[in-house]
Amino acid sequence: MTTDKPPLVQVHAVLALAQREFKGYFESPAAYVAIIVFYLMSGYLFTATLFLSNMATISGLAETMPLIMTFLVPALTMGLLSEELKSGTFETLATLPLEDWDIALGKFLGFAGVHLLTVAGLLFYPALLRLLAAPGAGMDWGETFGILAGLGLMGLMFGAIGLFASALSRSQVVSFVIAFLFCFIFFMAGNLARFSPEFMASLLEFIGVDAHLNTLAKGVVDSRDLLYFASITFGFLYLTVQRLQARRL
Amino acid sequence: MIRAENLTKRFGEITAVDGLTFEIPVGQIVGFLGPNGAGKTTTMRLLTAYLPADDGRAVVMDLDVAEHPLAVRRRLGYLPENNPLHENLEVTDALHFIGRLRGLTDETARTARVKAVVKTCGLGSVVGRRTGELSKGFRQRLGLAQAIIHDPDVLVLDEPTSGLDPNQVLEVRDLIRELKKEKTLLLSTHILSEVQAVCDRVIILNGGRIAADGTPDELSGSLQNKNRLHLSLKGPAEGIRQALQGLPGVAAVSGPSGSGEADGRFVVESEASVDLREEVFRLAAARGWPVLHLSLERLSLEEVFRKLTASSEGAP
Repeated sequence: MTTDKPPLVQVHAVLALAQREFKGYFESPAAYVAIIVFYLMSGYLFTATLFLSNMATISGLAETMPLIMTFLVPALTMGLLSEELKSGTFETLATLPLEDWDIALGKFLGFAGVHLLTVAGLLFYPALLRLLAAPGAGMDWGETFGILAGLGLMGLMFGAIGLFASALSRSQVVSFVIAFLFCFIFFMAGNLARFSPEFMASLLEFIGVDAHLNTLAKGVVDSRDLLYFASITFGFLYLTVQRLQARRL
Repeated sequence: MIRAENLTKRFGEITAVDGLTFEIPVGQIVGFLGPNGAGKTTTMRLLTAYLPADDGRAVVMDLDVAEHPLAVRRRLGYLPENNPLHENLEVTDALHFIGRLRGLTDETARTARVKAVVKTCGLGSVVGRRTGELSKGFRQRLGLAQAIIHDPDVLVLDEPTSGLDPNQVLEVRDLIRELKKEKTLLLSTHILSEVQAVCDRVIILNGGRIAADGTPDELSGSLQNKNRLHLSLKGPAEGIRQALQGLPGVAAVSGPSGSGEADGRFVVESEASVDLREEVFRLAAARGWPVLHLSLERLSLEEVFRKLTASSEGAP
């Protein structure tokens, strides 16, 4: 009871928050809608690639899913902190023996659980392909897992952005719009690179998710890409904590 | 134990809490009273380390709030204003959730605590219901149960009975009285009768400062510069009047005059320090005038409150 400096994060509290948030997703229609849209779109993209171009691959997902996730992820994260701020329960949380990092991490992990499960569900498509494909005509598993890992990491990054946006406003709609704008910028930056003057192109390419996602989608694990996703994710978690601390002033 | 030393909090131009100094010893229940905007909630937020103070310091159970916010929060239970609850949680789930966040990691021990607070707060009949389906009275009890799940030494309750119907108010007050036995308790309210009903001591806040501090009785006494004794004696009015005027310390007597027999009502004014009740009784006994009524007028807390906070009337 009397220990003064807690460890960096209080694991018990982070887990309790994450579990609550995770369960909460399955009690809210918004999360179901987002997940259903995710599978409808990915299902369409998968079958379109399969039947239109006769290719046993999920590469179609890698191209279009990022755009769809720029609004699906914010839909999942918009309520994380906005709702607590609006209903006043944030004051309850913030006057428990918790650091703001515990709160931010707990919320983030709750989202991460749902997101990673959803992405893992995409394994259904390659599994189906493997089942239906002629013996010997295997698919590229490096590419498959690369795409799934890429979508997973990108979703986590978008989630951290969404969490930050959620700390900015009591209104879920405002949080959603802010998160969508940020995610869209990261999505578009790579595409803009093509039309930009040379000196900006490489910068935009680095900022955009495309280039990093594409390397992973080829089945190539480059530490620079991992660092890109990890640092932006961590950066927005850090901003979230800063924002929560500033709220108390 | 709660101590505030010159506690100050400013929001831009407005000084919400302006150099508050007070101490609440263990086992005392203190009511914060004041009009809206007097600084009650802000002071509570400073004490619970929700907001940082701009000046001065707050100490809870010998721990400086600014230096050891987490240690303070561990020993403190807080019911925020408007009793915010996580919606859509089953009652015991809500208690388990707060318990886990508070570090009650052992499931058996936590379940025992949850059972204990469900009993203390009378939540037995709503176990299995979700927070969103609870009546306001039960929501308030759940908020209190959440605040005491870790058996804190200090309890800070921001308007624990606001918005409840009279029966619920009484129930929550009983609950608070039950809790007060072993704890230091600070509650805020703008219901005056509440303070009289449950508090050992009242701190009246106005404009972020302490306007008065004392027991409810002291406060009603201290603001009077005159004592007024209302009495009704059966006997000759004129004789009574003169006898009363003859008592030491009497400033004025008003009441019926004339020589007729009557059970006249008199009002005897005296210095605030003089209590005439015994003298009047002896006089009446000696003369054989039956005493039908005898009471010392005190300012009600309501009047004290109005006198002290009149300047901010019309504030939001």
